[in-house]
Order: sequence, then C-alpha cells, then structure tokens
Amino acid sequence: MDNLNLDQHISHRYNEELEDLRSRVLNMGGLVEQQVSSGLKALLELDSELGEAVFNSDFEINALEVEIDEACTEILARRQPAASDLRLVMTVIKAISDLERIGDEAEKFGKVAMRLSGTGSRPTYFSELRHLGEHVKSVLRDTLDAFARMDAEAALLTASRDDAIDREYNSLSRLLISHMMEDPREIKSVLEVFWCARALERIGDHANNICEYVVYLVKGKDIRHTSQQRKLESKRDQQ
Amino acid sequence: MTKPVETSTQDRNSQLLAEFKTTTGDVRVEDPKMRMDNVDVHYGDNQAIYGVDLDLGKNEVLAMIGPSGCGKSTFLRCMNRMNDTVDSCRVSGTFSLEGQDIYAPDQDVVLLRARIGMVFQKPNPFPKSIYDNVAYGPRIHGLASSKDELDHIVETSLKRASIWNEVKDRLDAPGTGLSGGQQQRLCIARTIAVSPEIILMDEPCSALDPIATASIEELIDELRQNFTIAIVTHSMQQAARVSQRTAYFHLGRLIELGDTNTIFTNPSHELTENYITGRFG
Repeated sequence: MDNLNLDQHISHRYNEELEDLRSRVLNMGGLVEQQVSSGLKALLELDSELGEAVFNSDFEINALEVEIDEACTEILARRQPAASDLRLVMTVIKAISDLERIGDEAEKFGKVAMRLSGTGSRPTYFSELRHLGEHVKSVLRDTLDAFARMDAEAALLTASRDDAIDREYNSLSRLLISHMMEDPREIKSVLEVFWCARALERIGDHANNICEYVVYLVKGKDIRHTSQQRKLESKRDQQ
Repeated sequence: MTKPVETSTQDRNSQLLAEFKTTTGDVRVEDPKMRMDNVDVHYGDNQAIYGVDLDLGKNEVLAMIGPSGCGKSTFLRCMNRMNDTVDSCRVSGTFSLEGQDIYAPDQDVVLLRARIGMVFQKPNPFPKSIYDNVAYGPRIHGLASSKDELDHIVETSLKRASIWNEVKDRLDAPGTGLSGGQQQRLCIARTIAVSPEIILMDEPCSALDPIATASIEELIDELRQNFTIAIVTHSMQQAARVSQRTAYFHLGRLIELGDTNTIFTNPSHELTENYITGRFG
C-alpha cells in the first residue's frame, strides 16, 4: 500500500503523536547530517576548534535517541498501533539507533581532527577521503529525504548506492595499506585516515539500513539481508 | 477542523467500496470444516450481506471484525440458522458443514444447533442450577444413558470451560448467581456439553471486565484443540490475540481475509488498513 495516510486517524491526539514522532526523527536526522558535515570539514581542514565542537555536540544526538525511544514505548503501550502505524513505530525505533551510531562516527572525525591538527602536516590521501566523504554525505541526505517523503522507490535507489561506497572504501584502504607498508614512519598518521575512511563506510551502512526500514514502513516488506538482485525483484513485484 | 479530515477518509472509503469486486486474500482452505458460498442475506428489502465466500478451517479460530452494521453478526447467525428466527430475514447461498447443506429442507435445526453451538454477547444462563444448565442439552439430545454419564458430561464440560473448581461444591446453586465472567464460562460449558463441532461466539467478552475477558480468551485458545471457533468481536486487539485468521467485513462485503499476523501488520486492502488503524470506525 503506497498511500500511507498517517495523519487521518479519528483521534487527533494520535495524529499529533505520530506526527511529532516523525518530526523528532527528522530533527535528529538533521542534527546527525550536520555533525557528519562539520566533522568531515574539521578533519579535512585540520580545524581543532570545529573538531572539538563536533565532539562536544554528540550528547545532543544521544539524548534525542533516548527521548524518541521513550515516545515510541508510550505509543506502543497506549495506542497498540497496527499495520502502517505499527511499522512506523518499529521503523523509528530502529532508525534512531542507526542515526545515533552515525553520530558516534561523526564524533570520531572531530577527535581525529583535534589530534591531527597538532601535528601541523596534512596526511596523505585526504582528497580521496574528501571524495568518499561527499559520496557518503549525499547518500545520507537522500536517505533522510526518502524517510521524510516515505518514498520506498527513492529508498531502494539510495540503498543500491551502498555497494559503490564499499568499493570506494576498499580501494582507499588498499592505497592506505600500501602506503603504510612502503613507509612505516607514516603508519600512525595513515591509520588515522584509515579509521576515518572506515567510519565513512560505516555511515554508509547505517544509511543503507535506514533505507531498508523505509521500504518496510511503506511496503510492509522486510528486505534486510537480501541481495541487491532480490531487492530489485522486490521493487518490480510491488509495481 | 475535524470535519474535513473525517470527510476525506469517508469519501475515500466510499470510493473503495464502489470499486470493490472480490475479497482480497484466500477465502478457501483445504478440507474446511464449513464452506460458505455466494451468501446473500436480506432483511426485507435491505441487503445485509453481498456474495460472501468463506471457508472455516478445522480447529482454527476465525475472527470476524468490522464496523457496526457491517453484517458480521448477521453472517455468524447464518452459520447455525439462528436467522431462521427472524421473520424478515432471507438467506441465499450454500453453507456446507463437511459436505452437508445445513439449509437443506430435511435438516433438523435443533440437531444442527447442537453441532454448531453459539455463545452470545450477554451471558444468558438458564434460570436453573449450574448443573441443570449444563445437563439440559445432553438430556434433550439423549446423550447420556445414566445419571453417572450425565454427571461425567457436566463435570467434563465445566472443567473444559475452566470453571469446575469454582463451582464444583455448589452445582445446585442458580446459574444466574454467578459473576458475569463465570456466567459466560457456564454458557460455554453448556455449549460444549453437547459436543459441538463448531462454536460461534458473538462478542462473547463485550459485557465482561478485563480479567474475565482474559480468562475467556485463554479458554478459547484451549478449546481450539477440540473445536472450530468463529468469533465476532468489536475489539481488534482481541481478534489479534485469539485468532489465526481474520476476516474484515465492511457494509456487507467481505473485504479481506488473511492470516491474523499479516492483517494486523500489513493488510492488503486500504479499507482494512483504515479500519484497524483507527482512521475509520
């Protein structure tokens, strides 16, 4: 069923509760997007001050996760939601966990920025990291957009981009490993880049998870742990 | 502020109903206990049920849900010809109980109602003792050839209805002296005393408190081992708790029928979705 009328309940208060839940998630998503963006900026420009700000802001995201979790529990207890309403609550519970993890990854950028800015030198492979970062930011933005619009097609399309992120990350890791083997003096600083690349790949995975939840929310179909081929088949089945 | 929202869902529902052609989901089961084909019901000139096909599977609990006036109770009452008692009611279509047409002219209706028993919304014990309430059916059907046999039937039925321990020391007490929940369990014992094959329940817990409701629901789950049950309920949560399959009725049409888990997590038809999520009552 594509027509999710989440705001058409006879109970207005119930409408408001569900709408409030959605906006809180979007708010959290916005905050997380900002953290990823600022964290990457801090890292790539070796901006210690910005890095520290990112590091110190993570608690806001954590607090939102707790708050939204509680709101979900209350809705489950009081409303016994069914069908699409139930799927919305389940989706939110899962999505906020992934968003909180993305926040943690962004926090890492801040910490690395603070560490590296002291050294004065720009580590290698920053342009590759920047490129991967832009890719991941774009996927995250499209993921949150798909959730906001409850667009399963957009979510499936965005989910299909995770493979490209993984390939780019693998390619970058190979470069970094070769570099560390060639010049062991650089290992310490190259490892910092490595962990950041890994964090970006993890952000991509979390965004992928959220896309899968959106498909579940809209279509009622659980596509987690299915291959890309089967995801595309499921897309065709629904048409 | 309120009206526009309700109107749009109602308009949408009217549109969906106009487009309705056939039931979504599998109405048929293999080797059904009862098969219902193309059932129409009229009260005078008013049609209450439109072309319903439905199978009742063996040893299942089938829940029938839908808004007030959707015809679910009317349909339930057709299943043991209780609608025969309503003058203006005309039933067409076939109801086959394991291949036997229950509306055949030579069908013994009293015997039918022993095979397909009914439990009503308001507990209605006879103005007799607890013992006689349960013994009445077996007596008139000649199911016991001795007092001992009758005692055994009464005890077994009261045990199966999970009320034996509460009443075993006062079987001579009037049935009407029991609490609401106990009365309903007595009525269930009365129904099962004649060894029915199917038990029809028309909102059996509507008049009961939550604790009595929970014990009846537990009982329904136990009864399923030996009987087939069709239950009409206004409580969607109850339908979700007790049944294996759920049928959604809307203005006399069977809109959707499916596995209860699926109906309550991902129904296929928009009318079903609207009802169970409280967008339409």
